[in-house]
Amino acid sequence: MRTQAQPVAIVADDERLMREQLVDALRDAWPELVIAGQASNGREAIALVQSQDADIVFLDIRMPELDGIEAARALAGSVHVVFVTAHDQFAIDAFRHGAVDYLLKPAEPERVALTCKRLRERLQQKPAPMDDLLAELSQRLGSSTGARREYIRWVQASVGANLRVIPTSDILFFRAEDKYVRVQTPTFEALIRKPIKELIDELDPDEFWQIHRATVVRVDAVEQVSRNFRGHQVVHVKGSPEKLEVSRSFNHLFKQM
Amino acid sequence: MQTLTEIRDAGAVIWWRFFDWLAVVSWKKLLLVCLLTLVLAGIVNHPTPVLMLAVASFIIKVAAGGKRRAELTADEATKRAETEQLERTVVEARMEALQAQIEPHFLFNTLASIDQLIQTDPRRASQMQKSLIRYLRSALPQMREGMRATLGQQLNLSNAFLEIMAIRMEARLRSVVDVPEGLKSAVFPPMMLQTLVENAIKHGLEPKTTGGTLSIGAEVIDGQLAVHVADDGMGFAPKAEGGVGLANIRERLKAMYKDRAELIISVPPLGGTCATIKVPYEVVRDPAL
Repeated sequence: MRTQAQPVAIVADDERLMREQLVDALRDAWPELVIAGQASNGREAIALVQSQDADIVFLDIRMPELDGIEAARALAGSVHVVFVTAHDQFAIDAFRHGAVDYLLKPAEPERVALTCKRLRERLQQKPAPMDDLLAELSQRLGSSTGARREYIRWVQASVGANLRVIPTSDILFFRAEDKYVRVQTPTFEALIRKPIKELIDELDPDEFWQIHRATVVRVDAVEQVSRNFRGHQVVHVKGSPEKLEVSRSFNHLFKQM
Repeated sequence: MQTLTEIRDAGAVIWWRFFDWLAVVSWKKLLLVCLLTLVLAGIVNHPTPVLMLAVASFIIKVAAGGKRRAELTADEATKRAETEQLERTVVEARMEALQAQIEPHFLFNTLASIDQLIQTDPRRASQMQKSLIRYLRSALPQMREGMRATLGQQLNLSNAFLEIMAIRMEARLRSVVDVPEGLKSAVFPPMMLQTLVENAIKHGLEPKTTGGTLSIGAEVIDGQLAVHVADDGMGFAPKAEGGVGLANIRERLKAMYKDRAELIISVPPLGGTCATIKVPYEVVRDPAL
């Protein structure tokens, strides 16, 4: 049975050694604190905080499923959060001025004691709002750890029986042919099933231009534009002998400056 | 007096210019020029001195032309060699910058883990620290200077890294290394295998709650050494910005091998990611250990 005097905490880290390290340090610094559960990812952390009605959660920033920042966003307002990290300099900068505490692994006993002292004081109050901090954190983390961009940087396409991942910077053009779209690079061709219509929405408009209902070309790969005997513009591409016709509705792309 | 010296210097310069020209000019051209000058000299009625000059030119070309021409060619060759040397230095400097860096996040997490093991399991702590030392020995940039890297060395480095990650990730990381003993003395560029291994863990297995298996393999096909790193993790995210490591590998391969090497990323039938580096197969006779 726990009493009012015994606050409850959850510790979340994807590495067991790191969880145990923090639990040991907390037991020394704050014997009354009940560690009601250990989570190895953000999703588990949220579930444990809710099922154990925890007062405090220690969240490692980098975790699978949901990372510490996403978990904190989901739990904001209901629990006091302390972030834990081994290095993230950008994150530490963000914490320095905020009301939300953080610990560096491996935490020095004095530093853990300070965090526990702050937590004891804060437990009387409502958990601090974190909107600004979380926004800043995810932005800083986003710019440095494989964040997703709006546009695709890689295309998964089949070459024979194999599925290859091709960087968009290697692709000369896409061309719709029957049921497939052909992906042409300087050295090989591959096929994808996604229609040009859908593909064009996923490609960076600064990187790729549609020049025909059936053709999308990488701007940097364009060598020159000439006219054929019918008066249509024709795009010549570096690294491929193929000539790509520009349909009239896309003529404006290659107007003289 | 000074004017006289200047005239003499100018004369010398013109003479040597004329001499160089004589040395490298073709016989046909020299003959043509002599004929033209003779015709001109004939028109102004003074053919004799020009005829003498023409004859002198022929004699000089026969006597000294060969030596002078050799000198000039040597000069040019030196200049070209200097440019090539400079270009090589630039490429090397760029490569150095492109080589993978040790991730501070990895280093600090590993040190924190060792710290915890010292309290709970000193023997494993010592084991992990030894792996870290082995990893640092080959991964620190100043430690890998001037070495012709072999696949064996690169495997040692990645094995040390995988041992560390296995202690940290526990059951979430299984690794299988299947590289024939005979291929370990093959030339393989430094830090490329390691970048692929780090990618497989960071983007493939660490983000997966259940973890998975990482496998390294190597074979020789048609004179090409193909080294692959495969994982059954999260799979390749088409919008992932990352890719800096892979772009670096591509650029380094191009600088080192032109079109004779490549990096291929594919999706194995059961999901995950497989990255393959192909380089010309070449054996180091005296591997530096």
